[in-house]
Amino acid sequence: MKKLLLFVLVFFCNFLLYAQNGVEQKYLLTTETNTYGLSVLSLTDPYLSPLTYTGTGIQFGHESRRCWSETNTRLSIQSKLDFEVGLLLNPAQNSNMTYMAVAYSEGLHYKFNPTNGLTFMAGSSLDIGLGYKDVSRNVNNPGNVDLATNLNLSGIAMYDIQLKRRTLRLQLSVETPLIGWMYVPLAGASYYEMFRLGNLSGISHFSSVFNRRGINPRFTVDIPFKRSVWRVGLGYQKLQYTANDMVFDRTETSLIIGTTFDRIHFGGRMRKAPKNFISPND
Amino acid sequence: MKKYSLIILLAVVLLPSCMNEPTAQPNTYEGNFQSLWKIIDTRYCYLDYKHINWDSIYTVYHQQIPSVTGGIPFFDLMGRMLNELKDGHVNLYSEFDISRYWKWYQDYPSNFSSTLIYTDRYLGKKYRIAGGLNYGTIDNGRIGYIYYGSFSNSFSDSNIASAMNSFSKCHALIIDVRDNGGGSLDYSKQLASYFFKNDTITGYIRHKTGNGHSDFSKPVEITTTAHKTIQWQRPVAILTNRMSFSATNDFVNRMTRAPHAIIIGDRTGGGGGLPLSSELPNGWLVRFSSSPMYDINMQNTEFGIAPNISVALTETDQANGIDTIIERAIAALK
Repeated sequence: MKKLLLFVLVFFCNFLLYAQNGVEQKYLLTTETNTYGLSVLSLTDPYLSPLTYTGTGIQFGHESRRCWSETNTRLSIQSKLDFEVGLLLNPAQNSNMTYMAVAYSEGLHYKFNPTNGLTFMAGSSLDIGLGYKDVSRNVNNPGNVDLATNLNLSGIAMYDIQLKRRTLRLQLSVETPLIGWMYVPLAGASYYEMFRLGNLSGISHFSSVFNRRGINPRFTVDIPFKRSVWRVGLGYQKLQYTANDMVFDRTETSLIIGTTFDRIHFGGRMRKAPKNFISPND
Repeated sequence: MKKYSLIILLAVVLLPSCMNEPTAQPNTYEGNFQSLWKIIDTRYCYLDYKHINWDSIYTVYHQQIPSVTGGIPFFDLMGRMLNELKDGHVNLYSEFDISRYWKWYQDYPSNFSSTLIYTDRYLGKKYRIAGGLNYGTIDNGRIGYIYYGSFSNSFSDSNIASAMNSFSKCHALIIDVRDNGGGSLDYSKQLASYFFKNDTITGYIRHKTGNGHSDFSKPVEITTTAHKTIQWQRPVAILTNRMSFSATNDFVNRMTRAPHAIIIGDRTGGGGGLPLSSELPNGWLVRFSSSPMYDINMQNTEFGIAPNISVALTETDQANGIDTIIERAIAALK
């Protein structure tokens, strides 16, 4: 009888262990990328000057991407945060413009793999951007604010190249604004009148492909090393928008370098860490 | 796969090519002339008000360009064209000169002597300085006197409170803004706020909404808010001359609505257009009036504000160490 009981216990224990292996828990990884960039920048802001200012900028970008859920890996969520500062000069090089910008976006992409090694992601993103341009020698119009939010069409193509010792990932990402809202002051209105006297008429504009067009292709290569993956690439941005009889233009070419890595995220009631993970909060 | 790749490549290549590069005039005499003429044509706010035929001015000055040799003669030509606007807020800034129109005060008597106000009859040598204000008492301590020489010089509530405390035994106050060529509109509003009991609409402003000479926005009220704690509710005289310009013009316009204020002296110099700036292909900066400001009756303040009591500084008084305008103010405040 004891032998029979022992046999049954061992049988069920094995069955339970087998069952646990059969429903293996899946965890979502988030791919994080931090990039630094050096850019050649051209800005035309007719509110400040009819001339195009050119100069250099430095950028920092943080991007994270993860699948929608453990079961739906075709959809992915992407968020990006970009900072940039630049110093530009007018063509005569006797007036400078300082430029600062921050932009945040959330995107959703659908992934499909037409062939082995090639991945396409198509979707959209919603962004909000805030920038400030300062031409300090100007009188009563020394600065102008860029403020806009856009729904963008977004696409990413990735291709893995298998080399002898590593796999390189080539990536081309493109975004273009579709519709949104933007702030553009009237050419003749001073910030004194707008913000001290509260005359905000004519500054709010609906934007679409008819008055705001742009594209920002970015080509990068992810190169895996022993303990890290480095990203290098080239970025280009062209943005043009029109409002209040003024045409604003931004052209930028940048050299990008950064690192990309995967991390796992546990948090909240639904995503508790397994026991074999050690958290400083435990 | 080819189809998807083609779509992406087409988007990357074709979309930027759909956009036009910003166009700017070339950095030549012709290009700089065209650029300057267009900036004024589309953005200067007083062309219609002053009945200026800017197209004929184009003809007159454009035909002089071929005879120009050198940057300085070209600058002088552009400066002369801008002087046709007869506006103290219009200047052309180059690395070697600033064009200016100063006839708004040079063609009139100065009506001010800084030497006089610092004689023992008025401020003397023991006057006090609080921020940008020089102050003391005159008329045997019966009247407070503040000389404020520039609205670019800052002052604070505590500066004003200190000055007004020292005038506690005075029955009236004189604020002298003669030869004050302007500065910050914020200081203009702040200084006026001490003389109002209630928030008061003191004028209007408009701005250009298009390239047409009369494309203006609807007037926006300019309100002078009464200061919450510091208020001078006794008579006050504002002394003006032709060099009271720009932000000073704005201050005087506000004070015309202050309950116990009287304007004494000469007509102010004007400068009622809030200036903005732009630049030419060669990097020269141009400043121009962009937003016209109006008094409470929607009258332009570009050509100055008339005083309530018109007084001129006489040579005889000046020779005798007497400031005619201050003396008239003392008499009016009694």
